[in-house]
Amino acid sequence: MFLFRFIFSSILFVLIITTNAAAYIGLCCAHCGGNMPLNIMGGGIPETHEYRFKISEMFMTMDGLRDGTDEKSTSDLGPSTASGKFRGVPKSMDSYMTMLGGAYSFTDNFAGMIMGGYVRNTMEMTTTAGDYDMFSQGLTDTKLMGKYRLYHDDNLAPTKQLSAVAGVAVPTGKITIKNTNHPTKTMRGKLLPFGMQPGSGTWDPIFGLTYQKAADPFWMGANFMTTQRWGTNDQDYKKGSEYTLDLYVMRQFNEKALASFQLNGKAWGDYSDQPKAGKENGDCHAMLNPTRDWMTPLCDPTNYGGVNLHATMGMQFQPVPLHVAELNLSIPLYQNLKGPQMQSDYMLRLTYYLEVPTKKSRRYKGFSAPKQLGF
Amino acid sequence: MKRILFYFWLFASTTLLFLIVNSALAHEESFKAMGVVPPRNEMPAPDFTLQTSNGNSVSLSNFKGKAVLLNFWATWCVPCKKELPSMQKLYDAVKHDGVEVVAISIDRDKKDRIHQYIKNYNLTFPVLLDPGQKVRKDYFIMGLPTSYLIGADGKLKGFISGAREWNSAASKKMFSTLVQ
Repeated sequence: MFLFRFIFSSILFVLIITTNAAAYIGLCCAHCGGNMPLNIMGGGIPETHEYRFKISEMFMTMDGLRDGTDEKSTSDLGPSTASGKFRGVPKSMDSYMTMLGGAYSFTDNFAGMIMGGYVRNTMEMTTTAGDYDMFSQGLTDTKLMGKYRLYHDDNLAPTKQLSAVAGVAVPTGKITIKNTNHPTKTMRGKLLPFGMQPGSGTWDPIFGLTYQKAADPFWMGANFMTTQRWGTNDQDYKKGSEYTLDLYVMRQFNEKALASFQLNGKAWGDYSDQPKAGKENGDCHAMLNPTRDWMTPLCDPTNYGGVNLHATMGMQFQPVPLHVAELNLSIPLYQNLKGPQMQSDYMLRLTYYLEVPTKKSRRYKGFSAPKQLGF
Repeated sequence: MKRILFYFWLFASTTLLFLIVNSALAHEESFKAMGVVPPRNEMPAPDFTLQTSNGNSVSLSNFKGKAVLLNFWATWCVPCKKELPSMQKLYDAVKHDGVEVVAISIDRDKKDRIHQYIKNYNLTFPVLLDPGQKVRKDYFIMGLPTSYLIGADGKLKGFISGAREWNSAASKKMFSTLVQ
């Protein structure tokens, strides 16, 4: 119900904005040649004085466990009450995430962006009390960012551009979602492990740098982004900082279609500590006793973080002006995880992107005639 | 006799004035209908020499004495490609009436693709290549498509930002006032 309200209100907001907009499209202007895959954070900057809205549906599946670069079988870890084993072990995880983003370009060089999402996680668990699906859902953290173009060699059709990104992730995602369907009644109402919480609980600064190059029919670039975790949340822990580097190349093979290939690298840190609820009430500990071992490897704050590299294949379509759709499939090439933790299997993402010119946009009013030529 | 002469000159002057004003108004109306920005001071159009996709050199000065529709476009600009066929139809209709159509592609390295467009759209007016963006910069092109109207005297008569239906009645009327 909440998801429905979330999507409905977002669509209503977009419709209100678009009602006040004017879609004159007989002009190409400042960001031609600035194409980027839409799945990359900060990709898709609107034309000056225009809005753009992005809605993505992502499905990610994780299957099996890994420690470092070695795969682990579930039976290596449990479920067992024996020492060195865990009472609950994850087998697989499916995540569906609906992401919504909006952006507005205030000038040729500066755009403001907002991005949020809603996630549904289902983790298949095997425990000493039987198998069950751990479930969580909720809003993710919301990112507010500004992107400033530091350099370009040509405003109309740039072949090289360099932009800087700065922003903050607002802690709109919960960090206190509880277990509702554990086979053991006493475990219900206890805090779910870190990976099942949709938020970080902290205000996190974001920094990034984007280099884009155009050599028609190719677009290529590199996007570096980091989310720093400097403060602790209400549960007295902080998530590890994240670093991503995306390299992409896109080829326009048709007037209305592009194919893309990306290498997406990510490094992220572990959690600083267990939640307050774990220390005080024994949540996530065997027998709910804070002095006992972890119930599952998911509860250990050091079983997070690592380095991975994914390859992403994508197709982008622009069937009619102002509307763009993109489909991406990502598969892991390399995973070195601080483990044991769940390893990535594949990720599918469908994005719809809408450009909305306003009455201030050049695509509506055209360009001014040059004074230098007597106008 | 003097009175007759006075009335004759008064009638002739009024008629002439009416014709001039009428012509100016028609000119203004047709410019307005096509969304043309007229210049505050008529300045000579910057001259250039560029090559066609076949390697022939063409200069703006080759068209002196003709009204010119000078259009800037690129193969990556969708609205530009949409207006090319209407430019060809306009060219077919007015080429014998002292009007020339010249299109300048600002693609950096698309000679083959431009040649293909010329074939696909059966373009017979000169399509020139400006891979170095020099002429584009001389004409202060910030968005595509952009067109200029150049009079038979070689001076800039109008600026048009965005795509137009060049084969429309309003467009033909505008060019007929431009060659007068």
